[in-house]
Amino acid sequence: MKRRIYGLSILMGVLFLLTTPVAKAQETVKIGAAFALSGSIAVYGEGFKKAVDLAVEEINVAGGLRGKKIEIVYEDNKSTPKDCVTAVRKLITVDKVPVIFGPAGSSNFMAAAPVAQESKVVMISAQGAAPGLTKAGEYIFRVFPSDVLQGKGISDLCISLGYMEVPVMYVNNDWGLGLKNVFVENFKKAGGKVTDEVPYDDGKTDYRTELIRATKGNPRATVNLTYITSGSVMFKQAYEMGIKTQWICGSAAKAPKLVELAGKAVEGIIGTYPVFSQETKEYKAFRASWKKKYGDEKVPIFGEYNYDMVFITAKAVEKGGYTSDGIRRALFEVGRGYRGVTGDKTFDQDRGVGSEYGVWTVREGQIVDYKK
Amino acid sequence: MDLFLHLCIMIAIYIIFALSLNLEVGYTGLFNFGHVAFFGIGAYTSALLTLHRVPFELSLLLALAMAGLWGFLLSLPSLRLRGDYFGIATLGFGEIIRMVFQNEVWLTKGPMGLPGIPKPILFSYRFATLPQYLSLVLAFTLLTFLVLRVILRSPFGRVLKAIREDEIAAAALGKNVLRFRIKSFIIGSLFAGLAGTLWAHYTTFVSPGDFTLLETILVLLIVVLGGKGTEWGPVWGAIVLIFFQESLRFLRLPADWTRYLAPLQQMILGGLLILLMIFRPEGLIREKGKISNAGDKGDQ
Amino acid sequence: MIGSKGLCPQNLIFCLKMSFLFQSILNGVLAGCIYALFAMGLTLIYGVLGFVNFAHGELIMWGAYFLYLLMEKPIGLPLPSALAFALLLTALMGTGVDRFVFRPLRHANSLTLLIAALGLSFLLRNGAQFFWGAEIRTYGFEIKRGFRFLDISITLNQMMIIFATIISISFVYLLFHRSRLGKSMRALSDNLELARVVGIDSKRTIRFAWIIASILAGAGGILLALDTNLQPGMGLINLVKAFAATLLGGVGNLWGALWGGILIGLAENLGVLVISPGYKDAIAFGIMVLMLLIRPSVLFHKQE
Repeated sequence: MKRRIYGLSILMGVLFLLTTPVAKAQETVKIGAAFALSGSIAVYGEGFKKAVDLAVEEINVAGGLRGKKIEIVYEDNKSTPKDCVTAVRKLITVDKVPVIFGPAGSSNFMAAAPVAQESKVVMISAQGAAPGLTKAGEYIFRVFPSDVLQGKGISDLCISLGYMEVPVMYVNNDWGLGLKNVFVENFKKAGGKVTDEVPYDDGKTDYRTELIRATKGNPRATVNLTYITSGSVMFKQAYEMGIKTQWICGSAAKAPKLVELAGKAVEGIIGTYPVFSQETKEYKAFRASWKKKYGDEKVPIFGEYNYDMVFITAKAVEKGGYTSDGIRRALFEVGRGYRGVTGDKTFDQDRGVGSEYGVWTVREGQIVDYKK
Repeated sequence: MDLFLHLCIMIAIYIIFALSLNLEVGYTGLFNFGHVAFFGIGAYTSALLTLHRVPFELSLLLALAMAGLWGFLLSLPSLRLRGDYFGIATLGFGEIIRMVFQNEVWLTKGPMGLPGIPKPILFSYRFATLPQYLSLVLAFTLLTFLVLRVILRSPFGRVLKAIREDEIAAAALGKNVLRFRIKSFIIGSLFAGLAGTLWAHYTTFVSPGDFTLLETILVLLIVVLGGKGTEWGPVWGAIVLIFFQESLRFLRLPADWTRYLAPLQQMILGGLLILLMIFRPEGLIREKGKISNAGDKGDQ
Repeated sequence: MIGSKGLCPQNLIFCLKMSFLFQSILNGVLAGCIYALFAMGLTLIYGVLGFVNFAHGELIMWGAYFLYLLMEKPIGLPLPSALAFALLLTALMGTGVDRFVFRPLRHANSLTLLIAALGLSFLLRNGAQFFWGAEIRTYGFEIKRGFRFLDISITLNQMMIIFATIISISFVYLLFHRSRLGKSMRALSDNLELARVVGIDSKRTIRFAWIIASILAGAGGILLALDTNLQPGMGLINLVKAFAATLLGGVGNLWGALWGGILIGLAENLGVLVISPGYKDAIAFGIMVLMLLIRPSVLFHKQE
C-alpha cells in the first residue's frame, strides 16, 4: 500500500511538471477566436477566419496596436456546443486572452458565454441572432442584430407575397427556435396561419421524412429556417422528390456556398437578411481591400460583420487597454456612432446593435436582392 | 497550475465512473455498454434541479436516486439476457436515453444543452475555484473507493464474483442470481450518476453530445486497461488514460491541425483496446485470487 | 408534387393523404433493402464464427468512402470500375480485420471479443474522420428530379437500390444452396469442430465468409451514400439497424435477415408519421430491444 501511494505521488509530480507552462514575453497582442473550423458549420468558420485575417492584416500593416502586432489565436470548436465550451475555456486558461471572438451559431455561442462571463473575459459575436444571446452577462457583446426584427421581417414578406398559410421548418436550436417563435408570433398577429412546425437537427444526411411531413398539404410556400449545409441537403432532396413550394429562409442561408452546394435546387428561394448599404465609403473600402487580398473570391456570409468586429475590438483595446474590463468599457465608447462596413455599431443596453431588413433571392445561380 | 488542477479533477471524476463500471463488468460479469446513460442521467438531473434553484445537497441526492432508479428499471427486463445480448440491449438503452436527452427539448433543451450550471454549494460553502472543486471531487472519489471496497470485500461481493465465474454453481448453492445482479447494477448506476453530477457542475454545460458511445468506450477502456475486477485497476487506468486524453486536448497546436488531432487520439484509443485484448486482456493490474488469467483468453 | 391534381380530382384530401402514405411505404422498402444487405453480412459472420461483429458498421462506411476516394481526383475512375475496386478494397479490409484482430481472438471469451470489436469500430470510424473530416460529403452526381409514378416519386438511385438488392440476394442464395462453399459455411455454422474433423478447410471458408459479408456491407454502404450522403458516423447507426433486423429474422438466418431489414425500414418510415422524426433512429433500437426481450431463445444464459 505504501508503495502504491509512493508511486502515485511520483506520477502526480511528473504530471504537474509536464503541465506547468513556461512563461514567455508578450511580443504580440493576442486575441482569441473560437471558430468552427471543422464539423457541420465549418463553412461559416472558414469564412469568418478569412474576414478576420483581412482585418488583422490591415491593422498590422498600418502599425499594429500600441506598436505591437495583433495575433489571433484560433481554436477549432468543431461546430458543437460542448466543443465551443472547451475551446473558449482553453483560450481563457491556457492563452489567457482578455477578449474572444465567439463561435458562429447562437446555441454554440450561448453554450460558451457563461464560461467567458464567469471568467470575466469579453466575448463578441459577429453572427449570433438569437434574441437572448447576450443575456449571460455584461462581458458578452454582439455586432449583429437580434432576430426580434428578422422574425417580423419574414412574416411581413410572407404576407406581402400573399402566402397566408405556411408550414415552418427550423433548425432545432436556439437560433431556429428563437426565430421561429418571433416569426409565428408576428405572423399570427397579422392574420396568417402556421400549418405545421417541423424542427430538425442540423448535420443529418437524410431529411426526407421531415420534408414529406412539412409539405404534405402541398403548401404554396414553406418557411425553412436553415443553415448552409443542412439547407443544401434538404433543398437537394426536396428537388429530387419533386416537391414544389416557394422556400422562404432566414439570413443564415444567404451564402454563395449554399448555391455552390445545391445548384439548381435553390434557384428561386427567397430570404430576409439584415441589410446595410453597399454605397457607403466604408463598404467600398472593404470591397477593395478584400479584392486585393482574395481576388475574385466571393465575400463569405457574415464576413463584413467579422471585419467590423475586429476593428471595433482593436479600437477598444487602444482606448481601454489590454484588459477585459478596459475593453468592456471601451466598447461602449468606441461603438457610439461608429460607422462600420455593416452600418452603425452603437451598442444598446443589451450590448447588441440594430439593423433594417431586406429580401434576397437566388437568380441564375447568383444571390441578388429580391424585386417583385 | 490550472491545467494540472483540471487534469486532477477530470481524473478523479473518471475514477468514480470507472469504479462504478468495474463493479458491473469486472466483478459481476455484466457487459454494460450503456453505462454512460446513468452518467448522463445524474448530470442532467442535478443540472436541471440546480438551474431551478434547488439546493445542491438535495439535487445531488436526487441525481443519485434517479440514476439508481433507472438502473433498476433498465436491469429488470435486460438481466435475463445472455452475455453479449445483454451488451447489445444495454447499448440500445444507452442510445435511446441519449435520444431522449436530444429530443425532449421542453425538458433538456435538446441539442442546445444546458449552459450556466451553477457551482455546487454544500453546507453554505461554495466550491467555485479549481482547488476548491478539486477537494470536493477528491472527497467523493475517496468515499466511492472506500464504499465500494467495503462492498466488494463483503460476502455480497464474493457472491458476485462467484456468479461471474460459474452461475450454475452459485444458483445451486441457493443464491438468487438475478437479485444479486440487479443490486450490483443499481449500485453501479448510482455511482455513475455521482460521477455525472460532479462532471456537470464542473464543466457548467451539458448537452446530449456528451453522452455518446464514445464515453462508454472510454470508461470501458479505463476499466479494462487498468485491470478489471481489481480495486486499484480503475484508478490507474483513469490516471493513464485521462491524462493522455485531456492533456492532448489542451496542447497548443496550429488550429488547422486540431481537426486531425481528435480523430487520431481516438484511433489510438481504439487501437489500444484491440492490442490490449489480444496481448493482455487482464490489463495493468492482474486480478488477485485467480488461478490463472488464461481464462480471459480461453473458452469460457 | 406529392398528390398532383391529375389523378384524383374528386376526393383530393384523401388522395393527398394516401400518396403521402404510399411514398412513406416506398421509402420504407428502399431503406429496408439497404438494411437487409447490412443484416445479411452481419448474420453471415455470426453464423460462421459465432459472434456479433461490432465493427460491421465500419465496413459499411468504408465501402462508401472507398468509392468516394476512387471517384474523386486524383484517381478519378469512372463509376463501374470504381465500384468494382471499392468492393474489392472492402473485401480486403474485411479479411484483413479478421486476420489481424479476430483470428488471434478466435478462442477468447465473448467479453474480450466484444471489446476488441468495439475498439476496432472506433479505430475505423476515426480513421475515416481523420482522412475525410466529419463534414457531410456527396458523390457529386447531378441533381435530378425523380420519376413520378402514380403520385409517388422515385429517383434513379433508388431504383438501383432495389435492383442491387435483388441481385445480391440471388447471388447469395445460389452461393449458399448450390455451391460447395456454401455447404461448408453451413457446416461450419452448425458445428465448428465437427466440420474440421470432416475435412472442411475452415480457414478458407472463414475467409470467404468475410469476403462475402464485406461485399454485402460495402454494397449497402455505397447504395446508402448514393441515396443520402457520406458521413463517418454512418456506420454505427446502421449497425444497430442491422442488429435489429438480424434479431427479427433470427440470428444466423439469411432470409430472416432480408425480411427483418425490410420490416425495420417500413417500421421506421411509417413510425415517423405518428411520432417525432427525431426518434426515427430510436425505432430500430426499440425493435431490437423488444426482440431481445421476447424471443425465448436468448432468455437463458450461455452454458457452453
